[in-house]
Amino acid sequence: MGDTNSNNGNNTNTNNKKPEWLQQYDLLGKIGEGTYGLVFLARIKSSTNRGKSIAIKKFKQSKDGDGVSPTAIREIMLLREISHENVVKLVNVHINHVDMSLYLAFDYAEHDLYEIIRHHRDKVNQSISQYTVKSFLWQLLNGLNYLHSNWIIHRDLKPSNILVMGEGDEQGVVKIADFGLARIYQAPLKSLSDNGVVVTIWYRAPELLLGAKHYTSAVDMWAVGCIFAELLTLKPLFQGAEVKATPNPFQLDQLDKIFKVLGHPTLEKWPTLANLPHWQQDVQHIQGHKYDNTGLNTVVHLPIKSPAYDLLSRMLEYDPRKRISAAQALEHEYFRNDPLPGRNALVSPNDKAVNYPTRPVDRTTDFEGTTSLQPSQPVSSGNAVSGNIPGAHGGTLRSGPRQMPVGGMQRMQPQAMQAFNNLASQPGMGSGMNPGGIPMQRGLPNQGHQQQQVRRKDTGMGMSGYPPQQKSRR
Amino acid sequence: MGISDTPFSPRNLLCQENPDACFKEQQQEEKEDDPCLFSESEDEYYIQCLLHRETTAFGSKSCCASTTTSSSLKRVRLDCIEWIFNTRASLDFRFLTAYLSVTYFDRFFSKKPLGDWMIWAIRLLSLACFSLAAKMEQSTVTPLSAYKLQEYDFDNQQIQRAELLVLSTLEWKMGSITPFSYMSYFINKFCGESKPEGLCSRVAELFMAVTKEINLTDHRPSIIAAAAVLVAIDSQLTKEAVELRISPIALWGSQENEHIFSCYNMMQDIEKRIVKTPASVVPPHSAAGTRRRLNFNEQHCPVKRIHRS
Repeated sequence: MGDTNSNNGNNTNTNNKKPEWLQQYDLLGKIGEGTYGLVFLARIKSSTNRGKSIAIKKFKQSKDGDGVSPTAIREIMLLREISHENVVKLVNVHINHVDMSLYLAFDYAEHDLYEIIRHHRDKVNQSISQYTVKSFLWQLLNGLNYLHSNWIIHRDLKPSNILVMGEGDEQGVVKIADFGLARIYQAPLKSLSDNGVVVTIWYRAPELLLGAKHYTSAVDMWAVGCIFAELLTLKPLFQGAEVKATPNPFQLDQLDKIFKVLGHPTLEKWPTLANLPHWQQDVQHIQGHKYDNTGLNTVVHLPIKSPAYDLLSRMLEYDPRKRISAAQALEHEYFRNDPLPGRNALVSPNDKAVNYPTRPVDRTTDFEGTTSLQPSQPVSSGNAVSGNIPGAHGGTLRSGPRQMPVGGMQRMQPQAMQAFNNLASQPGMGSGMNPGGIPMQRGLPNQGHQQQQVRRKDTGMGMSGYPPQQKSRR
Repeated sequence: MGISDTPFSPRNLLCQENPDACFKEQQQEEKEDDPCLFSESEDEYYIQCLLHRETTAFGSKSCCASTTTSSSLKRVRLDCIEWIFNTRASLDFRFLTAYLSVTYFDRFFSKKPLGDWMIWAIRLLSLACFSLAAKMEQSTVTPLSAYKLQEYDFDNQQIQRAELLVLSTLEWKMGSITPFSYMSYFINKFCGESKPEGLCSRVAELFMAVTKEINLTDHRPSIIAAAAVLVAIDSQLTKEAVELRISPIALWGSQENEHIFSCYNMMQDIEKRIVKTPASVVPPHSAAGTRRRLNFNEQHCPVKRIHRS
């Protein structure tokens, strides 16, 4: 795959001719559908990577009048700058110049934790092996540590966003996906509901539920704790009923579920609790209600003295400042005891491998989102889509390529604008995303994690050199 | 908005230690969470990382090489910047948003030279740079129809097309570092405990003014930031005094120190013009864009400049 994200507009003017970029793929069908658009499974035709599976995420057109969607810009920007074995890899960005839609091509992952958990719970009725749980968790933390070291908070970790590679070189490798809500710490943040985004609340940290406006990386660690517990029990740990209202409704039931298991948070253990808006406002419900501490150990069936329980309870620490970080978690005793975590989480040295089902493919939907035979059905339940789309809310998509009107401009000759359009859609105008060589822009001194997979372009401030030498590389 | 949320070091040192009125809004927001999420060493670490990214982005390019452009193209660039600044003011966007727009603009035209484009296309692209910067930095999405150019009327699809061209030309690397990233760090380093009142607004004003003088792809943001903070603190420093101030900050080599001083000199001149030229006597479209006092929105940066001679 080379520089193919810009295609020549001339080839896309007719309905029956595929744009050039699309001709390099064999489209197999739709594998997911969500708030942000559709996800397709495709295979590469070119000889170099023939047959390689690619997940192609089509961004929905943003609301007319807003231009390129900020979500798309942020997600692509982040994905362009990150490179880690445990983070999903963006291999190409395609612009369909006819309708200006964006398609992101990712390495395809056959499985995700949502489907794996569901398979164990509903199909085989058997827990996930200790080795597999530990390997999933270690790799998830390893990817997250990389993101956090780069000041990126994911904000929407949940089982369906944690992908697992199927057969091949990378079998059983975990990939964190869906950066649609991810932010660099310093970027302006607004509450998730302000974005008009529906995010499941089951993995949401208590400080956010209580109305904190500032996110820290600790919100991701809370979600990891919830996912860890779910891997152990095959059930969501805190399954609250969501209040659907805008803006930013108070999710009392979710907090209630948490308090029932972990007990009431106290100012003694969590001093900044007093400053959180909902804690102050909703005295009657939150502070007034008394909870018996059911005990996390009884819910997850772990002995209190076990390293697994210790790690889990540190991830589910109420006070975000005391909550364990990804870097600290990777050093936890849990990962040093047998069975040791491995790269192929699916195939344990001792256990028999579980055959997980492959993702269902809806072969009736084309790249435009139009169905050829029948109305499309969501291909999988819940939000289990590989292309990392939260929620399962479909939406209308443009139904076919069409000629872009060129009118509406005053004091400008139509042919002049046409020239601009042609320029804009010339092949090779920038953004060749050479898939193998996306340089790590922020080659950060890593906080010392083994198996760091970052391919750095240079080593001026490499991992060994912290604190970095004062003279920066020139 | 406005300047109140421009510095974005992980720990907003300035905000905690000196409740400058500029930062009131942010301070109130900080209250609910603990502001001490980041330690001093994490700040240093953050700055090191920024510098590293900066080095990667600027590569081996000499810091003070100046991109040569004809005066007519400079005029076009200045017109675009004027439009960006005025639109920022009228929409009440952050200064950072405007600065970032100019960064995108300069990065774009460093890859596709200005001379290759017709004026209307340059104006359209500058509008796209601004709308993209707003999408990156503003917390609410502004409809494209809010961005109006006087001379041309572009529809949404044309703007979106231009946005896509900018995005792909910049290879979607929209997280450009700006001097604002370093502002609170340097203010803290150079001032210690005694921060003059209104310092951050003066520094921001210099950041904005300097965009009209230089091509932002020629100067590293950290150097612009250091020079601007020094000028805002004291615009009468000798070369030795500048060196003395920057020597404890072990971030640069001797070459960069040299660049800081030349940047300092340039900003001294800007500072003189800003102080000398009251806004009212300058016609709105004066030939030299720098002569006009920036259209700062005082209500969002309530600290008045203290009069300096």
